[in-house]
Amino acid sequence: MANAVTPVSESQSSGEHPGGELESFQYNDSITRMFAAATVLWGAVAMLVGTIVASLMVMPKLFFELGPYGEFLTFGRLRPLHTNAAIFAFAGNAIFAAIYYSTQRLCKCRMWSDTLGLLHFWGWQLIILAAAITLPLGITQSKEYAELEWPIDIAIAVVWVGFFGVNFMMTLITRRERHMYVALWFYIATVVTVALLHVFNNLVVPVGWFKSYSLYAGVQDAFMQWWYGHNAVAFFLTTPFLGLMYYFLPKAAERPVFSYKLSILHFWSLVFIYIWAGPHHLHYTALPEWASTMGMLFSLMLWMPSWGGMINGLLTLRGAWHKVATDPVLKFFVVGITFYGMATFEGPLLSIKSVNSLSHYTDWTIAHVHSGALGWNGMMTFGMLYWLLPRLFQTPLWSSKLATWHFWVATIGILVYIVPIYAAGLTQGLMWREMDETGRLVYPDFIETVQTIVPHWTIRIFGGLLFLSGMLMLVLNFLMTWRARPAVYDEPTYTAARLGPYRDVERVAASSLEDKPVLELGKRVEAWARMDWHRSWERLPVKFTVLTLLAVVIATLFEVIPTFLIRGNVPTIASVKPYTPLELAGRDIYVAEGCFNCHSQMIRPIVAETKRYGEYSKPGESIYDRPFQWGSRRIGPDLAREGGLRSSFWHWLHFEDPEQVSPGSVMPNYEHLLVNRLDFKQITDRVRAAHLLGAPYDRELDEAPQMAREQAEVIAAEIVSQGGPVKRGDVLLIETQAVALIAYLQRLGVDLTRPAETDSEAAGDATTEEAVEDVGGGATAPDEDTPDEDDSAPL
Amino acid sequence: MLRDVITSIDYSRTAEIALGLFVVAFVGLVYGTMRLSRRTTDRYASIPLSDRVEDPRDG
Repeated sequence: MANAVTPVSESQSSGEHPGGELESFQYNDSITRMFAAATVLWGAVAMLVGTIVASLMVMPKLFFELGPYGEFLTFGRLRPLHTNAAIFAFAGNAIFAAIYYSTQRLCKCRMWSDTLGLLHFWGWQLIILAAAITLPLGITQSKEYAELEWPIDIAIAVVWVGFFGVNFMMTLITRRERHMYVALWFYIATVVTVALLHVFNNLVVPVGWFKSYSLYAGVQDAFMQWWYGHNAVAFFLTTPFLGLMYYFLPKAAERPVFSYKLSILHFWSLVFIYIWAGPHHLHYTALPEWASTMGMLFSLMLWMPSWGGMINGLLTLRGAWHKVATDPVLKFFVVGITFYGMATFEGPLLSIKSVNSLSHYTDWTIAHVHSGALGWNGMMTFGMLYWLLPRLFQTPLWSSKLATWHFWVATIGILVYIVPIYAAGLTQGLMWREMDETGRLVYPDFIETVQTIVPHWTIRIFGGLLFLSGMLMLVLNFLMTWRARPAVYDEPTYTAARLGPYRDVERVAASSLEDKPVLELGKRVEAWARMDWHRSWERLPVKFTVLTLLAVVIATLFEVIPTFLIRGNVPTIASVKPYTPLELAGRDIYVAEGCFNCHSQMIRPIVAETKRYGEYSKPGESIYDRPFQWGSRRIGPDLAREGGLRSSFWHWLHFEDPEQVSPGSVMPNYEHLLVNRLDFKQITDRVRAAHLLGAPYDRELDEAPQMAREQAEVIAAEIVSQGGPVKRGDVLLIETQAVALIAYLQRLGVDLTRPAETDSEAAGDATTEEAVEDVGGGATAPDEDTPDEDDSAPL
Repeated sequence: MLRDVITSIDYSRTAEIALGLFVVAFVGLVYGTMRLSRRTTDRYASIPLSDRVEDPRDG
């Protein structure tokens, strides 16, 4: 309902707003109810998918029986579905519920537009639905938490900025409370920074409706991705939840926040520091050392504000701890804030390079993420929902006892989840680096390190099931409370005048040195130092937003500009050439199958790694990788130097059933790759898009399908000569997606050791190709004349 | 020309400059925060406790 203007009565007019018209308004709780319901629904879905994904790690052939449908339900495809559902569907709807409820009350006005609110709600749910459909279909960018393809990304930008952002900012502008409470600051930071992160990390060149190539490549793509990835944690999973904490905790405890000053410091410190920390996800990779070190330094700084925030939250309960014993809402908040403290202690710890060298790629990171996601985001969301339910549905919570049960089941569930996974992570890290007195790896067989932690993964499933069952208790409580709602909601009407223009109430700060024998300059400095100008900024949403944006953008530019412009950061390697058309198609299959979820392509300069995988990865090796495929986790071994390690037939058998060649493997079967046909015609579009982005293709631009077929023939011949089949069913070997993927895998890492092509050789090739085109109209160049053919030479 | 300017800039000190800027900004905001009066912060902190408009609003 829109605001209505009523005449001012003398008794109601505020002394500060003489002559102002009193307006009556109602808060729009309907939109909060919708987002709260979506939170509960998607929360259950996200946790269910999480439990399924956890089960797949122990039972990789769980969906093998489903035949052709099994390909849509592999770990590689479902894991992004789980993370996206947890972050954007569960946590996303939770923060929208929190923001729509608290912003109205902190601004003492209804949201600016009910229509924009509805567009926001339905737009967001459609985006979630699109993600749920496209991710299992293998439509992905492969960038963690930014997997969705470009049409959905555009929809996200429109919904986030056009519907949500505009509605939120206009509400701030038309508010009736002069001071913007600190929770609103956190929301502002969320709105502007998420928009910035989303847009710049998702800049791509489309290759059709369901595929795109990143504008950035290799090192720069990795940098942008983790600038985004880390700040998605910061500005999607931290700042809005802190806003939630600063609003709902005082409400639930019925007392103001412990220290408002601390909350201000908490806010600005996070905004200033968080944005720099992303590179700590790339320690010891091909990222420049200076960026990595800066990421670590700023991550360590995060200890102070994070713990300041935690202490502020917990001390808000001073004098109210007796309530915690009986109130499930406060129980959830206390554990949630405690997990915030734990996770934000552990995060900087993991950013220390020596610690990171042990933890990176292991399950330690997974345990860390889940202690934050389940403990902080989950528990804060549950606390908020249990506090909101009686108010939104205007009836007592159906069962406070069930809510308490939820609390205990969820808390125990988190512990049962994270403890074995922490142990698994440490075990993995230590086994990977263990060397005997002769300098040889004690566990050279990667499978052995996997098998050791399978029991931990099994226990983790029970932790996930406990957390999920707690979620189902919330679903039941939600439904039963909703059923007891009144036929018509009571919507209280509030009356107040709008705020007058700020200049009417601004008090010009006069220097206290006015009557002192001090230079005029000194008086001005003294007046400036009173910081009243800052007070005014805090009241002006647009200026405040610009300031927040500036803090974030300046920090970003200080990292981005040197990374992109100092040529020494990514030294080129003469022998590194772009992928052949078939390899490019194979790479896209690698991306679509989500192989990056289990396999890294980044060998760190650590002795145990170079012994296991070979020469460490160089920045110049991934200059044609759009998107980069460095990965963040090793459920399987690193593949950066996979090329030439095994026969093509070995890969064929590995796809058919990994246990045939790798007993004990937890990789699922990829049999569908052996029968799914590769679309050769589509390769031309991919080659052209890669060329547009800088890959030096020439003949490939016109003859990509033909060149791909030629290379497929070579690989198929290898497979057959090694004992493989000529066809499977009615699909010829050379037509399969598996051959393209094998071509890509056989190319990985081989460029580094290939002799660089000399100028005269390159010229010779060009001459030969031109000659062939002259004679045969560009029909078929001799195999031995094309440098790409060397890449697919028999092993 | 713009390309020449950009490529000729020495970016090697960027991280140190950034750190300096951060420290200056951080010290400034700590100073500004500490200058808030107790009365003001108490009023700000009480904003979420009531859904009604509480005057005066220009604290």
